[in-house]
Amino acid sequence: MTGMSLYYLSRAVISAAFGLLFVLTGSPWWVAALIGVIAFAFFLWAPHSGRYAVHPELGVTALRRDERTQGINDRSARNAFIVTMLAVAGATLYFGRYTPAVVPVSFFNYLLILGVLTYYLSDFLQRRLA
Amino acid sequence: MVLRSYLKEIRLQKGLTQESLAGVIGVTRQTIIAIEKGKFVPSVKLALELAKALGQPLEQVFWLEASQEDRS
Repeated sequence: MTGMSLYYLSRAVISAAFGLLFVLTGSPWWVAALIGVIAFAFFLWAPHSGRYAVHPELGVTALRRDERTQGINDRSARNAFIVTMLAVAGATLYFGRYTPAVVPVSFFNYLLILGVLTYYLSDFLQRRLA
Repeated sequence: MVLRSYLKEIRLQKGLTQESLAGVIGVTRQTIIAIEKGKFVPSVKLALELAKALGQPLEQVFWLEASQEDRS
């Protein structure tokens, strides 16, 4: 097996495993299948996205970041970390001042979503502007 | 000081596309575009790889130019 075949085969296995994970956690089979298909579609798109340097000779690990995209990734992760930590600090002050010991669990989900959004927004802006 | 380059001119002279040059040195096409537009400063290693791939001495591909702040 040569070229990108190993990459695509390994990603098909990962996508199937990802779908299986959803089945095992109680999701309907069609949701699991949809998740698996979406994951595999992402892996099919990735080599053509321009986000990764493609090295077919590396097989399973054919996609690598180059120094520019690695820099973008590092700065995006740093920005997401800073924004999330500032939000945690702000939330700590807010809940400590107004509603001590009543921090809704869902609030932590919002913090996580904020961090993820910051990462992707930062990534997008750096790719567009730099 | 700002980094300038003749990357695009030399690449076109050699009949290479951005994609083919990117493939030769193992970076993304967007990285070649960013270097050609002067929006990304490559590492010494990448600059040397680019010069080697284009068959030119490094100083024929990249050079430093005084920026506005350096002049004032």
